[in-house]
Amino acid sequence: MTTAQTVKSATATSECDMRGKMGQFFEFTVSAGNHMTPGETGNKNGTIVAGRDLSLSFGGIKALSNVDFQVRRGEIVSIIGPNGAGKTCLVNCITGYYRPQKGTITYDGRDITGLPSYRIARLGISRTFQNPSLYPHMTAFDNLMLARYMHTRTTLLEAMLFFGRSRREEIEGRSFVESIISFARIPDLRNRTVATMSYGQRKLVEIARALAMEPRIIFLDEPMSGLDEVMKELVAELIISIRNQGITVVLVEHDMQVVMGLSNSVIVLDFGQKIAEGSPDDVCRNSQVTAAYIGGVVADRSC
Amino acid sequence: MRTRGKIKRDYGRELAVVRTRTHWFILGVFLIFLGILPTILTATDNNSWLTWLNFTLITIIAVLGLNITTGMAGQVSLGHAAFIMVGGYTLGILTTKMDWPFWLALPAGGIITAAAGLVVGAPSVRLRGFYLAIATLAFLFVAQFIIKHLDITNGIHGLIGIPAPAIGGFKIDTDLKWYYLILLLAIGGVISSVNLTRSRLGRAFSAIRDNDITAPSMGINVYLTKVTAFFIGSLYAGIAGGLGASYLSVIRVDQFTVFDSIWYLGMVIIGGAGSTAGTVMGVLFLRLISQCLHIVSMGSWLPSLGAGFWTSINYAIYGATIITFVSFQPYGLIAIWRKWQAQYKRWPFG
Amino acid sequence: MTTLLQLTLSGILVGCVFGLIAMGFVITYRSAHVFNMAYGQFAMVGAYMAWTFLGSPDSPRFPLWLGIIMTVLFAIAFGLFVERAFFRRMIGRPLFVPFMLTLGLLAVINSIVLLVWGPAPLALAQTFPKGPVGVGEITLPQEYLWSFGVAMAALIAFVFFFRNTRLGLAIRAAYDNQVAARCLGVSARLNSQIAWVISSLLATIGGILIASVQGVSPLLGELAISVLAVTMLGGLDSLVGCIAGGLVLAIGGNLASYYLNTYIQGISEVFGVLLILLVLLIRPAGLFGSKSIDRV
Repeated sequence: MTTAQTVKSATATSECDMRGKMGQFFEFTVSAGNHMTPGETGNKNGTIVAGRDLSLSFGGIKALSNVDFQVRRGEIVSIIGPNGAGKTCLVNCITGYYRPQKGTITYDGRDITGLPSYRIARLGISRTFQNPSLYPHMTAFDNLMLARYMHTRTTLLEAMLFFGRSRREEIEGRSFVESIISFARIPDLRNRTVATMSYGQRKLVEIARALAMEPRIIFLDEPMSGLDEVMKELVAELIISIRNQGITVVLVEHDMQVVMGLSNSVIVLDFGQKIAEGSPDDVCRNSQVTAAYIGGVVADRSC
Repeated sequence: MRTRGKIKRDYGRELAVVRTRTHWFILGVFLIFLGILPTILTATDNNSWLTWLNFTLITIIAVLGLNITTGMAGQVSLGHAAFIMVGGYTLGILTTKMDWPFWLALPAGGIITAAAGLVVGAPSVRLRGFYLAIATLAFLFVAQFIIKHLDITNGIHGLIGIPAPAIGGFKIDTDLKWYYLILLLAIGGVISSVNLTRSRLGRAFSAIRDNDITAPSMGINVYLTKVTAFFIGSLYAGIAGGLGASYLSVIRVDQFTVFDSIWYLGMVIIGGAGSTAGTVMGVLFLRLISQCLHIVSMGSWLPSLGAGFWTSINYAIYGATIITFVSFQPYGLIAIWRKWQAQYKRWPFG
Repeated sequence: MTTLLQLTLSGILVGCVFGLIAMGFVITYRSAHVFNMAYGQFAMVGAYMAWTFLGSPDSPRFPLWLGIIMTVLFAIAFGLFVERAFFRRMIGRPLFVPFMLTLGLLAVINSIVLLVWGPAPLALAQTFPKGPVGVGEITLPQEYLWSFGVAMAALIAFVFFFRNTRLGLAIRAAYDNQVAARCLGVSARLNSQIAWVISSLLATIGGILIASVQGVSPLLGELAISVLAVTMLGGLDSLVGCIAGGLVLAIGGNLASYYLNTYIQGISEVFGVLLILLVLLIRPAGLFGSKSIDRV
């Protein structure tokens, strides 16, 4: 079974599977204001993140030129393009790591251009990095607990005394992290130190950590790179489960099978410019896109 | 071999420091031991060990602060001696020149030193690695310079006659009474430090220590957290400084040198950066070396070599200890302890 | 006006010496990736050994040329020893670890010097002819001119070494990119040894030059603050910056000392420190240093 086929069948079965495992996670998505029940993957009503005329330069190098794009709520969107096209730069701009010289980024209609990255994280936008950025000397569980930071309110004084609210929030946080661990299906990694994990396992844990922040939209930077077929299927299933929770997913990816199989919408970048945006089929047929990829991967059986 | 470890049935258990009834028992015994310790130490009619213990406890409070700033949050500070100095001088000035009672002056000293920590931290934490260390060192020298040249601090002569704390008629004027006061504060320091480690702020500290570029992606305000690390560290230092000044009843600039800052850093590293228990071990370790040297120097079978000689030997051994640990066991005494613990648990399979 | 000129000229002379000394610090930072807080102590040891070989003005020991050669040999041996004993195993460790080690080394060397030679200041046997030299209305101590001359000679020698010898080329390659240099056959161990030997030599030269003016004492360790000021100003990874930083420190120090001493007593002791703070607050990378870019 190819990844594309797995993914298509997973879409059908995963909703039922996931419903059983939800627990707190299910409750949170309702309370997060998404008003999505698992299974409702159909048409979305609005744009969650949009960029207008984004330009970013480093010295003389134009990383992004006048990029417009739109991400609709509840969709899986992929950003593709040859190496150096500016995909990670775009994600970095949205998540506050780079500041575009020109253009605006809106989130739920609100302008977030230029906000520092920790503010953007607190608004409900979380992300993973190309190179897993977990803390190697901690266990997966502790790494996930880190993500609960912005959802707790304990002050310094309370922390030093550690009873009452401080203790309670810690315990609540731990319960929540457990539910994420079972959602991401990584219970065997719970107590393992990250340094002892394989590359694929680290990627899973990093996605889980991004989820533990209770985001409304999650940016995954090359989640499939460097993984074997088995792990790719696991990650693909996870991505679909995430979407089924009502969380919008934006992928930066190179693997065309995954992109075409999973995405509702695809954005194509080349040399810092957006050259196409639309459904996977539309993008496949776009001659500019084919040209950018030198007629290689895109022209194969996945289209 | 009995079964190792209890199964933790709820998160409260998992979080707790004192987990089983055996642990509570050991803790109780330990506290009783601490209570009768001074009687043991003064059995030979010699106060030197009790004085040493009092100073060691004060040093523990101070270095716990540095452990938070440098060990937990990764902000290397070579200026810690300056904060202790500020704490001591603040208490000294408040009690001798403004007639504040000790009980008011001590917390005030702590808060003012914490404010100094903000002043130093706010511009410095934008720097990284060595630059931060040098900046804190520079602040140490500037602080020394300022105190040497102010009138209110009596310049290089320092303050004398700092009064001991008193409640009504009850005055804390013996080493024994000081011991209980200092011990109380030290225990408070240890407890709050341990609590900090397992709280949300402690986690944020670890996050910025290990990777402060990806920490913001989790909603952590890196700048504010780093400054908070300095704030807390200086708070501990300020309290320790005030205690020390009152205990000695004098304070002078030359008691706080760059070497002291180095020793404090050394204690954090030798004990195990980031760990409260490690810090206590590190302080005890170096202070014990010092005390042993002191006893040897007092020995009547050695020719009188002068205080300078023994100080140099002391410094040389301290430096050599730091070099040894950094070269061979950079994770500190606490790592050695945990290794033994793990081997014990697995015995005889270990 | 002549005072200004005098202060500036003397500052230039002294500043170049500082700059040369600071290069020893920069070399270990870039080549061996060690931030050597004990550098001041290296200079101190060099100066004390020079005193051991040369003696003091009233009781000189070996003749000047022999004493200098012996001191240079000692400096080389010292650099090799330090590299082998402490820093060889630090290769590859996170940067904070050797930093901590140099702090320990600072204490150990300082204490050993105090134990062996005692805390009292000693006078170094005459290395340069003494007496003022006048040019027009400006008088400068001769030692300054001689020190400047030695510093310049050393500078030219090292530049020649780096540019015109194969070993020097290898060091420069490793200076820029250690891994690539190793791929090309430049031995990392040799590279490390050379870096420490050069550092020790420069520190020793610096220590002797300063001691010939100020005398040999434990205070020589405070050279470290000046070196830090120079490297912060010039940029931690720039050799050119060392000279620039040295000039600013020396000239600025002279001017500040002369004009501001009435307002702030003892400004000269704290000038270097204030300069460090100023640089760190405004432009931590220094004038010629490279800013690091964090790529996510």
